[in-house]
Amino acid sequence: MCAASGPPSRFSRKFWPFGDRGATGCHNNGINFYNFYASINQKLARGAEILYGDEEASLLPPARPCPLRVPRIGLYAGSGTSHSWLWFVDLFDRMFFHDVVFLDEDMVKNGVLKNLDVFAMSGGDTIRIAEGLGAEGAYELERFIGEGGLYVGSCAGAYLPLKSSKQHLDRFNFVDIKIANISKTAPTVKQLGRKATTAYGCDYVYHPVREEVRLRSTEKGPFSGVGSFLAPLYGGPSMVTGNASEIMAQYDAFTKKTLFLVDETLAEKTLIGNVAAVRSELGNGVLYLFGPHFEHPHFPIANHLVANAIFWDMKKSSVGGTSGMSEIVLDGAAKRKLVRDIKREISNARIVSVGLEAASVRWTIGCKIYEPEKIRVFLEAIWKRLGRLEQSPRIQISNQTLEEMTPSACEVTRILREVKSRIDDRLETQGIAPHLFDSLRRLTMFCLQTYFNSLLLDN
Amino acid sequence: MDYLSSNKILIVNLESGEITEDELDDELVSHRIGGVGITSSLYETYKDKDPIVLGTGLLTGSLFPGSALGIISAKSAKTGEVAHSPLTLKAGMELKYTGFDYVVVLGKAVKPVFLWLHDGVADIQDASEIWGSDVWKASDHIRRSMGDDLIQTLVVGPAAESGSELAQVCINYWGSGDCWGFGKSFGEKNLKAIALRGMGLLEISEPEDFVDQCFELFEKIKKGSFMGKTGIQDIFSAMGENDATEWILPLVHRNSACYNTPYATNTFLYLSEDPKTLTEPDEPEPGFLVTDPCALLGFKRAGLSAKDAGSVMKACAKYGINPLAVAEFCVKSGEKDPENIEKSLKDLEGPVSVPDCGRFSYWAPGKPLFSNFDASDTSEYGAWWKRRQAVAYIFGIHPIFANMAPELSEELMLEMVNKGTGLELNQDILDKVIEDVCS
Amino acid sequence: MRIDVDALKCIGCMACEMACGYHRDDAFALLASCIVVYRAREKKDYFGVVIKEEESLTIARPEGLEIKRIGVAEEPGSTGQKKEADASAKPMLLREPCDLCDGMKYGPMCVKICPVNAISLVEGGE
Repeated sequence: MCAASGPPSRFSRKFWPFGDRGATGCHNNGINFYNFYASINQKLARGAEILYGDEEASLLPPARPCPLRVPRIGLYAGSGTSHSWLWFVDLFDRMFFHDVVFLDEDMVKNGVLKNLDVFAMSGGDTIRIAEGLGAEGAYELERFIGEGGLYVGSCAGAYLPLKSSKQHLDRFNFVDIKIANISKTAPTVKQLGRKATTAYGCDYVYHPVREEVRLRSTEKGPFSGVGSFLAPLYGGPSMVTGNASEIMAQYDAFTKKTLFLVDETLAEKTLIGNVAAVRSELGNGVLYLFGPHFEHPHFPIANHLVANAIFWDMKKSSVGGTSGMSEIVLDGAAKRKLVRDIKREISNARIVSVGLEAASVRWTIGCKIYEPEKIRVFLEAIWKRLGRLEQSPRIQISNQTLEEMTPSACEVTRILREVKSRIDDRLETQGIAPHLFDSLRRLTMFCLQTYFNSLLLDN
Repeated sequence: MDYLSSNKILIVNLESGEITEDELDDELVSHRIGGVGITSSLYETYKDKDPIVLGTGLLTGSLFPGSALGIISAKSAKTGEVAHSPLTLKAGMELKYTGFDYVVVLGKAVKPVFLWLHDGVADIQDASEIWGSDVWKASDHIRRSMGDDLIQTLVVGPAAESGSELAQVCINYWGSGDCWGFGKSFGEKNLKAIALRGMGLLEISEPEDFVDQCFELFEKIKKGSFMGKTGIQDIFSAMGENDATEWILPLVHRNSACYNTPYATNTFLYLSEDPKTLTEPDEPEPGFLVTDPCALLGFKRAGLSAKDAGSVMKACAKYGINPLAVAEFCVKSGEKDPENIEKSLKDLEGPVSVPDCGRFSYWAPGKPLFSNFDASDTSEYGAWWKRRQAVAYIFGIHPIFANMAPELSEELMLEMVNKGTGLELNQDILDKVIEDVCS
Repeated sequence: MRIDVDALKCIGCMACEMACGYHRDDAFALLASCIVVYRAREKKDYFGVVIKEEESLTIARPEGLEIKRIGVAEEPGSTGQKKEADASAKPMLLREPCDLCDGMKYGPMCVKICPVNAISLVEGGE
C-alpha cells in the first residue's frame, strides 16, 4: 500500500487512490511521495521535531533550518465549486495532512480563515465562486493572506485572485497576473464546445486543450529538483505575470493524452512556454496559483509540489484555536447508529447513481455542464471512507453536522430517486439538478469533515 | 471468513424489527462448507421460530463457471419438511454482493413489509402500497421507488397473500425453482419481497491460481457437449422431447443465461410481438421469460399451444403461483383455455405430485443433460441427481447447468474453494455435508 | 486492436463484466469494469453490452453496433436530454477505459471468458 491506511475491505480498489496498482502512480523513480509526506505528518502529529534539512525531510528542498509543523488547512467547497476539491481531499488524506476544515462561503465570511494556515481552492465556476464569497469573503481572504496565510488555488482557484474587471471577480484582484488564454473573438472549436470557450465580458476565455500536459519547473524554491512533470488541465489558466510574481512552472509540451479543443497551432501559441504555476506574495502571505490541477490524484509529482509548497510557505507561526464549531465525540451505540444511518443513505444514493451512469442527460449549472456520472464521484468519496468510520471506536463531529448529516443524506437519496424517475418518464430534470448537486456537495462536506476530525482523534 | 465471503450472517426478526449480524465463522465453514450446508444448519438453529433462510455458496458470484446460485431454505408448505429452492438469474449473485452470505428471516411482521438488502445494510421497509399487487407490479414498484432497474427482487403475489400452498417466490417478474410453496411462507410472515442490490467486492485467497483455473475450465467447457446448444428448446431436445423443441421455436425471441452460466437456460417468448424483432419494442410487456422447462413441458402435455402456454406461465408469474403445479391441474382437468386457466388460479388447491427428489427443487430436469456423467444411477431424480443437486446447492452452482457439465467435478469444486478461501476442505467433509443435506 | 461484440450472440451472463472487474480490482467486483451488460429492459428482453474505450463508447445492441464518440458535442436541449449520437464528455466517469487487459497474461479477459464467443478482438483503433 502507498499510505499507511488501506482501502476499506470489500471496496473496489479502483476508487481508492491509495491503491498499489500502477494507474495511481504512487512512485516516481522509486520514491513514494505519499509515504514520505504521510510519514513526516504522522511524526509531526505525534510531537516530533523535524527541521528542513533533516534526513527525514530529505525530499524537501534545502532551506533555512526551521521546524516543520502540521498545517491547518481550509479546503473550499462552497457554492460554485465543481467536484475537483475532492482531489485535494485525496491528496491531504494520502499525505496525512489530516487537520482539514471544509469551508463554504458563509464560513469564510464568518471569519473561520483566521484559524487556518492554508486555504485551498480547486476548480468550478469562478464567477459563481466569487459571487458566493462576495465582498466580505474577498475581504476575509485578502486579510488571511496578508496576515501570513497561504493560498493554494488551481484552475478556478487560480483564476479567482487574478486581475479582472469583471463583476464579482473585481473584488479579488490580489495579484498582478493576467489571463493569457483570452481573446476578443471566440476561436474555432474542434470539440467540446461548451468546455472550449466561455464569454468573459466582451472577450472570450478559451481552453485550448484538456487532459494531460507536460510542465517544466523553473527549479525555484519548493519546485526545485523536479524537472519536467505531468498534470491535467481542465480549463485552468495560462498566465501572464508581472514582476512581483515568481514563475514556478511553464507549459512545456503536449502528450499523447492531450485533447485538443482548438487548432493545435493556437493551442501551442497559447500555452507552450507560458506560465502554468506561479508564486506571488501579498502582505505577509503567499499565493500559489496552478493552471492545471496539481492536486489530481493520478499525478504524484504535481501532488508532491503542492505538499512541498504548503510546507515551504504556510503561515510561519501556529494559528492555534479551532474551527469555531462546537464538537463532540461520539462512541458506542450512538456512533454506530450514526455511521449506519449514513451508510444506509449513501448506499441508497450510490445505487441510484450507478443506474444513472449511462443516462442520456446533462445539466447546465451556472456556466458548467454537469453529467450524471459526476454524482457518483461525490458519493464514492464518502463511501470509500465509511469503512474507516465504521472501524473507528469513536468519531468527532460538530453539533451542526450531527444534526444535519443524516437528513441531508436522506434528501440526496430522495432527489436522486426523483431524478431517476423523471428521466425514466422523459421529463425535464434541469430544474432539480442545482438542488441535487448543492445537496450532494453539502453532504460530502459533512461526511468528510467528520472523517478528517476522526482521523485527528485517532492520531 | 476473509475470502469469497462477506463474513456476515444477517438475522432479521420481522416481528420485533430487530436486525442483528453474526460473523460467518471459519469453523462453521470448515464443517458445513456453505450454501445449503449452512442454510440447513441455520434452519436447525432457528427452527422453532419458523425461519426462512437465504444463502449463497462459496463459489457464488465468482468467475467459476455456473456460479449463479443462491438458495432459499425453509419448511415446505407442501411437505412440512425443510426444503431448498434455487435462486438463479442474477438474484444469487446479487445476494452474494449485498454484503450478507446468509440471511435468516424470523417472525411475522405486524404489517406488510419488504426487506431491502444493500451494501451490508438491511432495512425493513413498508410494503402496504404493494400488498395485494401482482408480482410484476410489486417488482416494478420496488425498482422504481428505490431508483434502480437492476435491483433483484424475490417477490410473492396474490397466491401467497391468500395462503395458497402453491404460492411461489418469484424472481423479478419470472417464475423460479420454488416448487415448495415458499411463497406461502413469505405471505404468512407479511413479507411481500426481498430486494437485493450489492456493489461489494469478494477477496480471493489465491487470486491468480483461482482465476487461471477458471479460465482453463472455461476452455474445457467451451469444447463440451452442450456447446452450440442454447435455451429451453435445446434442453427439451436433451430431455428427449424433440417435438417440444419444434413446438416452442416459433416464439423464441432470445435465450439468456443466469449469472456466469455458460449455458443459456432461460428462453424469452414473444407473445405479442414478432419474435424476430431486434429493436426495443414499444410494447412494455411483450412476452415472458421461461426459466422452468418442466412447467412449460407440463402445459404442452396438457395440450396447450406454445403461445397459450407462454401466456399462462406469464399469468402464473404475475399471480405468484407454481406453474408446474398449474400444469398438473390442467392435465387433470383437461382445461386448455388460457383465460379459463388464468381465472381458475385463485381457486386452485389440493395435492400435487412431488417426485422423490429429496429436499431439492424438481424444477431442474431429473436426468443428465447433453452429457453422460460417469454414474451408475442416472434414473429420473435418482441418487446421481440428488448428489449432483446437493453439490450444486452447497457450492453455489446453477442446478440445471450442474447437470450438463461433468467438467465441474466435486474434486475440482473443492480445490477451487480451497484456493479461493485458503481453507483445507476435503472430500470427507463434503461427503458428510452431502449426506446430511440429502437425509 | 479493439473489442468487438456481437450482441445477438450474447446471452447476458455477465462473465465478461466480472472478468473485467477482476482485472481492475484483483478481486471479484463489478463496479470498475469497462464492459457492462446493460439489462435494464428486462421485461422487453432487450439487452446488450457497453464498452468504454479511450475515445468512444461502444454500444452493442441486438440490432447492431453503435459507436459514440466521447464528448463530441454537448449542448443540452431544453429538457437536458443529450443528442443521441453523442456520449457525454466523461461517460462512466469512474470506470477506466478498456486497456485490452494490459499486463494480463490472458489477453483481453472478456474475449477469453465469453462462453458463446460473442466478444472478439478485432483489428483497428477506435
